[in-house]
Amino acid sequence: MLHVKDLTASIGGTQILRGLNLDVGAGEVHAIMGPNGSGKSTFAHALAGRDGYDISGTVTLEGEDLLDMEPEERAAAGVFMGFQYPVEIPGVNNMYFLRTALNSVRKARGEDEVSAREFLKVAQKAMDLVEMKKDFLNRAVNAGFSGGEKKRNEILQMAVMEPKLAVLDETDSGLDIDALRIIASGVNALRGPDRSMIVITHYQRLLDYIKPDYVHVLVDGKIVESGDHTLALHLEDHGYADFVNHDLDDAKPLSGVSS
Amino acid sequence: MSTATVPLARPTRRDEAWRYAPHKVLDQLVLEPQANADTSVADDVLAQLPELDGAKLVIVNGIVNAELSNFDEPAGLSLSTLAQKRNTNASAIAAHFGGQPADVFEATNQASAADGAVITVADDAQVTQPIQVVHIASPGSANATSYAGVVIHVGQGASASVVETHVGNAANAGGSHVLTTVTLGQGATLNHLVLQDAPSNHVVISQVSVSQEANSTYNAHAFNLGASYGRLAFDVALSGNSAHTDLSGLYFGFGDQTLDQQVTVTHDATNCTSRQSFRGVLDDQSAGIFNGGIDVRPGADGTDAEQANDNLILSDRAEANSQPRLEILADDVACKHGSTVGQLDDTALYYLRSRGIGATQARRLLIDGFAHQVLDTVEIEAVRTWVSKRIGQSDA
Repeated sequence: MLHVKDLTASIGGTQILRGLNLDVGAGEVHAIMGPNGSGKSTFAHALAGRDGYDISGTVTLEGEDLLDMEPEERAAAGVFMGFQYPVEIPGVNNMYFLRTALNSVRKARGEDEVSAREFLKVAQKAMDLVEMKKDFLNRAVNAGFSGGEKKRNEILQMAVMEPKLAVLDETDSGLDIDALRIIASGVNALRGPDRSMIVITHYQRLLDYIKPDYVHVLVDGKIVESGDHTLALHLEDHGYADFVNHDLDDAKPLSGVSS
Repeated sequence: MSTATVPLARPTRRDEAWRYAPHKVLDQLVLEPQANADTSVADDVLAQLPELDGAKLVIVNGIVNAELSNFDEPAGLSLSTLAQKRNTNASAIAAHFGGQPADVFEATNQASAADGAVITVADDAQVTQPIQVVHIASPGSANATSYAGVVIHVGQGASASVVETHVGNAANAGGSHVLTTVTLGQGATLNHLVLQDAPSNHVVISQVSVSQEANSTYNAHAFNLGASYGRLAFDVALSGNSAHTDLSGLYFGFGDQTLDQQVTVTHDATNCTSRQSFRGVLDDQSAGIFNGGIDVRPGADGTDAEQANDNLILSDRAEANSQPRLEILADDVACKHGSTVGQLDDTALYYLRSRGIGATQARRLLIDGFAHQVLDTVEIEAVRTWVSKRIGQSDA
């Protein structure tokens, strides 16, 4: 599904990603963990197509080269990014935004646009998934939303957009335990054989709810260790110090595959 | 019609209220009112009006065109022309002509405006259907200027909505000046909408003077969209206790337009509240001006005044001039003001694009969102539709 090879990214002369390699198969959920400043968010933005980075390497999704695409073209190709800090857009109605987004990608794929009535059904289903109240669609996009509402709105958008690849950037940050549970169950409901996910997080906590198939440790712009979910448990107990110091001996015993 | 000479000189850059105005354009206007003005109107000009039924006064080159007007008077509403009123009850409109003129245009208007609209709402009458006043400028020769007056009185406890629209015929360059005087009795409410969409070779100056008695409410929405120079000025006097005024506006400039809002709210009684909220979107080499004053007189305790001016700049050559003027001479006053000038938010653009929305449409959505926050507070649907259509936005 997704192949990332030798990905580097720098901004303003500062190199952040230093040769990142990652393969994500169809239907797999990969967690990426790492200390602050390791390049987790930069990786997410490099996949979604944010301006301002100098990028090299290759990234393909189902064989299509993503790096040459604009952000909207990547969305049409099936990439969805859940933002760590969803942007407030006062004056733009949430429902109108969602329908415009869905119809934009449908149009780009040569599909028919959905009518207002059809869209309401899609939206209602997505709202049920993240336990959102009706008035939610009539508010401006993220404007005045609580932290939890913003993150739920991201998952709602993901449910509407039905991406092939979802990149969730610290979707758990700033959430209380109830909101975390709602979001995790929304994400789990959206798992499927044709949808891959990259879940970026600081904490093991989220992975109690969203069980990843693989866990990767990102340090200093590179993946330094990969394993199954038990790697996350190890990190919870020992922190990132082992990896930051590049002394992997203490990291044993690790379970699962090592890349 | 009086032919008294007008002593004032044309405004210059040294006049604070005219500092950023396009003087080259203004200086070309022939100040004397155009003689023998034509009052016929082409259909394409009429097609530019908001779709509103009911009472309507159409003023062409400063003269009421009775055929195009609709003098329907629902209960409590009385409509007449300024020319009629001058003959039948001149004292009722004396104050309109008696104010201290702010500039040579207003002085010329007072000295020479022959006609216009007089709208009187009886005490306690609730007139729900908006009353239209349409100003059409169709200069008979290059740079000809026309003048008109509008007098609105809303009686004690009464309420009404007035929509004043400025459009024109682009065959000749020219100007128009409209002096509107509003008086609100105790507890009266007026919703006043000013829609300016004159051709790009016209100058439009709208000078609105408002005087409010106790517990009255004045809500104004000013949409400053057309003309080479569009100037919408509001001078509001809160003269009775616990009166409220709420002024909001949107100016949307393209090409080399200059869109000017000159606002002064004077608190001259206790416990009055005032809000000013103006937004500008400026593209190409257009310029926006917001010159907004809050003037709190001695003894106006309990004043609660706020002012905000936010500008969205879409081009390197566009500019916004924002000048707050605050003079506070009373104690126990809550006063807030803020002014911003910014560009489209890159992060918001990226967010929208990451959802599959193309760059052009994403920009459009953000601009509409910015403008919508003014439009959303307009209660008259036909006006919302008119503005939406005019600024080319989708039906968000």
